[in-house]
Amino acid sequence: MERSSPLASLPSGDDEAVQSFFQTLVSGLSFGAVYALVALGFSLVYRTMGLVNFAHGAVLTIGAYVASTFYLSARLPFAVAVPAAMAVTAAIGLVIERVLRPLENKDFDLMLIGTIGAGTVLEAAAILIWSSSGRGVSSPVQTTPFDVGGVRIPAYNVVVIAVTAVAMAALTLFLQRTKRGAAMQAVAMDHEAATAVGIHVGRSNAISFAIGAALAALAGALVGPMLYVSPTMGDSLGIDGFAAAILGGFGSIPGAIVGGLGIGVIGAFAAQSFQGYSDLVTFVVFTVLVMIRPTGIFGERTVNRA
Amino acid sequence: MSRSPSLPAALRAPQAARAGGLVLLAVAAWLLPYQLNVYWISVADIAILFALLAVGMGLVMGVAGQVNLAQIAFFGVGAYTTAILTTRDGYGFWTAAVLAMIATALAGVVVGTPALRVQSHYLGIVTLGLAVAFIDWITNAPVTNGDSGISGIPAPPLLGINLSSQYLYYYLELIVLAGGLAFGLFIVHTPLGRRMRAMRDDPLAASAAATEIRPLRMIAFVLASVYGGAAGVLYAGMIGYIAPETFSIADMFLLLAMVIIGGRRSLAGCVIGAVVLTVVQQQLINLAAYAQLGYGLVVVAVVVFAPAGLVGIPGRFRSLYRRWRGSTGTSAVLEPFRPLPVAPAAAAGVTPGEPLLEVSHLVRRFRGVTALDDISLTVRAGEILGIVGPNGSGKTTLFNVISGFYRPHGGAITLNGRPVSGMRPSQVSRLGVARTFQHLRLFGNLTVADNMLVSLDRTRTWWSWRYLCWPFGIWRYDRALKRRAAELLADFGLAQFAGMLPGTLPYGIQRRLELARAIAGAPRLLLLDEPAAGLNGEERAQLAMIVRSIRDSGVTVVLIEHNMGLVMSLCERIVVLDSGLVIAEGLPAQVSSDPAVLEAYLGKSAVPSPRASEAPQASEASQ
Repeated sequence: MERSSPLASLPSGDDEAVQSFFQTLVSGLSFGAVYALVALGFSLVYRTMGLVNFAHGAVLTIGAYVASTFYLSARLPFAVAVPAAMAVTAAIGLVIERVLRPLENKDFDLMLIGTIGAGTVLEAAAILIWSSSGRGVSSPVQTTPFDVGGVRIPAYNVVVIAVTAVAMAALTLFLQRTKRGAAMQAVAMDHEAATAVGIHVGRSNAISFAIGAALAALAGALVGPMLYVSPTMGDSLGIDGFAAAILGGFGSIPGAIVGGLGIGVIGAFAAQSFQGYSDLVTFVVFTVLVMIRPTGIFGERTVNRA
Repeated sequence: MSRSPSLPAALRAPQAARAGGLVLLAVAAWLLPYQLNVYWISVADIAILFALLAVGMGLVMGVAGQVNLAQIAFFGVGAYTTAILTTRDGYGFWTAAVLAMIATALAGVVVGTPALRVQSHYLGIVTLGLAVAFIDWITNAPVTNGDSGISGIPAPPLLGINLSSQYLYYYLELIVLAGGLAFGLFIVHTPLGRRMRAMRDDPLAASAAATEIRPLRMIAFVLASVYGGAAGVLYAGMIGYIAPETFSIADMFLLLAMVIIGGRRSLAGCVIGAVVLTVVQQQLINLAAYAQLGYGLVVVAVVVFAPAGLVGIPGRFRSLYRRWRGSTGTSAVLEPFRPLPVAPAAAAGVTPGEPLLEVSHLVRRFRGVTALDDISLTVRAGEILGIVGPNGSGKTTLFNVISGFYRPHGGAITLNGRPVSGMRPSQVSRLGVARTFQHLRLFGNLTVADNMLVSLDRTRTWWSWRYLCWPFGIWRYDRALKRRAAELLADFGLAQFAGMLPGTLPYGIQRRLELARAIAGAPRLLLLDEPAAGLNGEERAQLAMIVRSIRDSGVTVVLIEHNMGLVMSLCERIVVLDSGLVIAEGLPAQVSSDPAVLEAYLGKSAVPSPRASEAPQASEASQ
């Protein structure tokens, strides 16, 4: 995480605390934006077909590698490399959806291990193609960090948050304003009724899976310059993103955003106050929150299963 | 009355063939080390530990239906506690082992606590999160020596046997696994495990059959943790060195794959899965990425094509073979119902005609909708009371509140003078209220006999302490339950179906089974929610006969039913609900001519009323 900001000239202890607070908050929000994208992928797939997709993290890894390959090796501009990577993972998503279709709406144990199996295949493919050693990705935005009242905000973090916001808005518009999106909403509410009014449920599922996979690639591509691209990067991002989706309310789109930002901020403050123990603190806090409010902040928008 | 004294085949002890197979297996396992070199014996030692972990997973996930992704953390707690206590605090190995088991059981309680509130994927991510938290702790804490781990853990001393030899250690592990597996199987096939399986299949129906869901979930997690802890202790003693990399999320998923691929519903399947995957993994370890690729593909293939795991495959082939031979499979037939022994209601501690169940001013709302709006009614001991009303009038909600599924928002319910509103379903059931459901809720993966046994067992959950020290008592109790189940099944004419799964039976027989299961709980009050739904004419007549016999045996009956013919002929009194209100109450003849009832069913226009001028509008409104 970017926490190397040299807060040089600080007048008093109070200000220092406030600045450090905002510094941590900014860092938490940028990671939170990435978690929100991951959570959105989980939620979108879950609400349309009742599938909890644990391969999501591995799709993210593939997306991060493809984007970095386009960007570093093919020397495409970052703004081109990312959509290209999203298209590639969307295609992969279609394949996974076809293979795992028998598991839709099955019991959770089977989905869990089936999608983990698919994720293992993707991770192995990443190792075979790009080797098991990771790669660093240089930041596509080279401007100096913004300075807002002593808080240094790296320009790239602003880009990440902005891109996430645009992606969320676009998805919401798609779901609410287009015919295809409305059909997907209908499938999410009641897939039998949707079939009855002539909606092609299989196609709707395939599209939501492809969009989920594209979102994973977007998250992977965006997080690449913030972390390090490696075959296992999707593991922890997948777990954090899933936790974010649950925290916000599984299946809910605003829930994914709030949950993602929530997990990001909790993680950043845990890392600042407890150093190495950030995972420990984050997940203990998460467990307590889930027990207090099992349906998440926005309640579960789920497939209607009697 | 002649009752068949012999147990049906499904209730008899496992066959001799199976025992022979077990002996063979034991001998093979005992002789195995003579065939193995040093490398393979260490693989075998690891496989046994994974098998022990997998049995724990099988108990909590496959048997109790609780998602547990923290098994690797239990393994870690066992190993780390042993390591810390022996190397830092100088405890002897076995003292440390006992303390480690206690620590793991406590960890089991911690991980099990969220299961009291959340289930399914929520429980999955919470338990996985707690495993991540544990791994974070062992990689950072000074006491665990962080990344470098703890070395110098002594091998366990045992009567002068040198357990630092991998060969001799194999036998120690084998004995622990055999013991663990035997104990696990004993649980699965006796009351505790049967309840867990019932809870897995249908927690609502299980709680209506007096199963205390929360304590049972907790027991499942503690059981899993104890198996994990035992594996951890053995691992520490075997390797002598532990580090965080052994307890990774990847290993957790590997363990999960073992359980699913082997067959999660069968403990033997869990062991098979653990052994197979450990061996395969060791074989492929040098191929790394390709091995991972192949492993992933196999996992996907098994889940898609053989969801019951490896142990389910022979059954699939058998049924395919049977279909190929063209045999229909079953020759079991429904036998006639034998009337239950007549007993006056007085035997149950109530006087006929006295109020048994009193509902007063009951209110239940769902967000904006008031499903029950100030309902008051009395059920008298020894009667058959009918509750009728249009769809959505609150009948089933009333049953759900009485049996404890919903908490009332106002009013009171008393059973035999004792307040029961707000109690849990298992408590209400224990006080003698049994019920059936509008949409059948049988335990789908339990045999017909097991469905009965779950309901027959009225012990409290804490009765299970006997598993720790007095298994013979449990065994004897279980025998008694099975005899009673056989009698009841014979009474209900279901004896020939005892060994079958309910889902394979015709609908009418499933309905009768649900009724028999409710009676198995020896209730004072039986709530029947649309018992005739989906039955044909003959089955309805049989139902009426059975319900009368149940009443004559001293059980008070309340029934919700839409079939008016049945209600009119069967019920002595009828209560009519509409929009959450009691609109009429009385004898069948009175109720059927009550204008308010006609209006509720047919609309205002159908009722000859003096307000004839309103008729046109009213008929429109009733469309």
